[in-house]
Amino acid sequence: MTPLLKVCDLSVRFGQTVAVDGVTFDLARGAALGIVGESGSGKSVTCRALMRLLPPATNISGSVEFEGRDLLNLSEPELNTIRGKRIAMIFQSPASHLDPLMRIGEQVAEALVEHTDLKGRAVWEEVLRLLDVVRIPDPDRCARAYPHQLSGGMKQRAMIAGALACQPDLLLADEPTTALDATVQKSVLDLLAQLRREQNLSMIFVSHDLGAVARVCDDLLVMRRAKLVERGPVTRVIDAPQHEYTKQLIASHPDRLASRQVAAVSQGAPLLEAQGIQIRYGGKSLADVLTGREGGFVAVKHADFVVRPGETLGIVGESGSGKTTLARSLVGLVKPHKGEVLFDGAPADPSGRGRVAYLRDVQLIYQHPYEALSPRLTVQAAIAEPLRRHRLCPAAEVLRRVAELMAQVDLAPDLAKRLPGQLSGGQCQRVAIARALAFNPRVLIADEVTSALDVTLQAQVMDLLLKLQKERGLTMVFISHDLAVIRRLCNSVIVMRAGEIVEAGPTASVFDAPQQAYTRALIDAIPHLHGDAA
Amino acid sequence: MFVTGLALVLVWCLIALVAPWLATHDPYAIDFVATLKPPGAAHWFGTDNVGRDTYSRVVYGSRLALYIGLLGVIAPLVIGMTVGLTAGYFGGWVDTIAMRLVDITVPFPFFVLVLSIVAVLGPGIENYFIALALVGWVGYARLARSEAMVLRQAEFVLAARTMGFSHRYILLRHILPNALSPIVVYVMTDVTLVILFGAALGFLGMGVSPPAAEWGVMIAEGQSYISTAWWISFFPGLAMVLIGVGFALIGDGLARMLRIER
Repeated sequence: MTPLLKVCDLSVRFGQTVAVDGVTFDLARGAALGIVGESGSGKSVTCRALMRLLPPATNISGSVEFEGRDLLNLSEPELNTIRGKRIAMIFQSPASHLDPLMRIGEQVAEALVEHTDLKGRAVWEEVLRLLDVVRIPDPDRCARAYPHQLSGGMKQRAMIAGALACQPDLLLADEPTTALDATVQKSVLDLLAQLRREQNLSMIFVSHDLGAVARVCDDLLVMRRAKLVERGPVTRVIDAPQHEYTKQLIASHPDRLASRQVAAVSQGAPLLEAQGIQIRYGGKSLADVLTGREGGFVAVKHADFVVRPGETLGIVGESGSGKTTLARSLVGLVKPHKGEVLFDGAPADPSGRGRVAYLRDVQLIYQHPYEALSPRLTVQAAIAEPLRRHRLCPAAEVLRRVAELMAQVDLAPDLAKRLPGQLSGGQCQRVAIARALAFNPRVLIADEVTSALDVTLQAQVMDLLLKLQKERGLTMVFISHDLAVIRRLCNSVIVMRAGEIVEAGPTASVFDAPQQAYTRALIDAIPHLHGDAA
Repeated sequence: MFVTGLALVLVWCLIALVAPWLATHDPYAIDFVATLKPPGAAHWFGTDNVGRDTYSRVVYGSRLALYIGLLGVIAPLVIGMTVGLTAGYFGGWVDTIAMRLVDITVPFPFFVLVLSIVAVLGPGIENYFIALALVGWVGYARLARSEAMVLRQAEFVLAARTMGFSHRYILLRHILPNALSPIVVYVMTDVTLVILFGAALGFLGMGVSPPAAEWGVMIAEGQSYISTAWWISFFPGLAMVLIGVGFALIGDGLARMLRIER
């Protein structure tokens, strides 16, 4: 049987940069192929090259045969008889690929009108059927909704419905679940796995997340630095990786990291304590005053927690749960509406008078490695800034101290003169950590510090934080949407949802015996290497 | 394009600098023997109705043009940046007050406002500068404000705050340098505008007063001879176009380069 898609020696160059280098693979009808790799490995470019969706100046060579026709040599009109009709594509962020001014139904109908003979009433019925296929509840209402009225997961489903409109033979999925929350991610992955079987769909699934790929695909390609480094059935690659890089990739997956003996919660006096924190955005309007309402938007409804010296508290929750807002209130970036923060047993005012002294003890590390550093300051200048400004060490010692801090976070000394734009994400995050350590803080709050990093870097940063905690006896608050990371790092955990703490307790008991259905759903959604295919 | 613009402006700066050596005549010397002479060997750009050498006057005029253009943007730039950055960074009532001030000037056409202020204060470059300072800062303030509003949410600015740095320090060290690039581009277009309006004031008799070798004044003086002695108004006009195009090209080039950098 001839394969549906035959890619032979595909190379893509942007000017001097080689983005894809000699990639060859086949895809049989009905098969699902996963392409994994870290950022910059060329996986997405490969996927886009198949559809010729790259800028015109791009240099593409090799061949992409789809049912015997070379897609790279087709004229634009010929290609359009295949694009969207025979091969459909879904993208990472449904929000930016849906027209905000068009109803969902109309957008799905677009492809039907363009590529099929359906007309009028039949189009709409087909739209409703498709929305039902992707398991959107109440398709009738959803079809009339605008994109902003749907959640991220629903938008991704609608985009999949649009892609399925013409019953394509091949579906290209480019990081379709990366922008989604864990529980939503799982449901979309399950949907893709089901659609594959029901519609006999062939699929190419591009992702940085091995666990996600394992849930949907049978075969796996691993890419690194524009080259294919390994291929094979998913289970074989995961259980017996051949290439060094694949081994490293799999070893970095939270499933495979040596499980850490998380000590029991210590019993000392709390170091950092939050009592009845409530945070609102926006002030009272006149109507609120008249009706006696509180006004504004409540980001955190009520939060109590304690962190004891030397322990790590994890705060988990999906986007919009208020976890970042809560973290920011601990360092005075947001002023709580009610409640108070206690440090070392005494009331602290992170946004008021004693803030400079307080911030020497409590430091926050931010989510986006590139954004958290001023683009115009070198590594050295960035780390030296707090040392100089707050006279944390004698002026003559500043550079020596910077070098010392860089060494502590495993940054090579020759990086000192570089600007953030010349560093990798992992290196930037190390600089941010070193800068926080310059204060010699007692508490380190880490806000999603690993979520913008590739898995191998993620593992390295986690190890670094663990090392620092051990060496310095740091107390940490670790905020993440990633339960696998939390499980590895934290002694105790609080689970947040819609501004409230739904569950709290020692990590082991929360993970092994979750009390709340929501916590259970979160734990179920952790992508594992051995996909428990739906 | 950028290089062409830069070259043009540099040439003009050079001309202004060595004007005494480039000029063939005294720009103010009246010569009733040689009035309204067309361009020729003795007078390259011809002479005006009182026999002054147009070429020498255009050369000397570059000094005034650059002086007005470069000095005229300083006060608006400084005031606008200060107001805009603080308003955008702090938000709240500071922002409200600053933006209401901006709103006051917005409904009036820029030139009409400058003109009426100069009319009240009396003619002269100093008063033109005062008028620019009163009105011109608005554009800078709006631009700086929008940059600062984005930057204050950036994580590196939040980080600076959680490192306990003062607002003044954060504004100067973290907000200002990162907000600068669009403002630099705006300065370039503004210089052209200020030169143009300065000349327009001169033309209307409200700017530099005659007999100064100022391009606007020269164009005004040549006005009544435009059908017989076109060169009196033509060459200062051409000079103005060339200097304006120079600054505009630099602005364009900078905008493009800074966009790529981002």
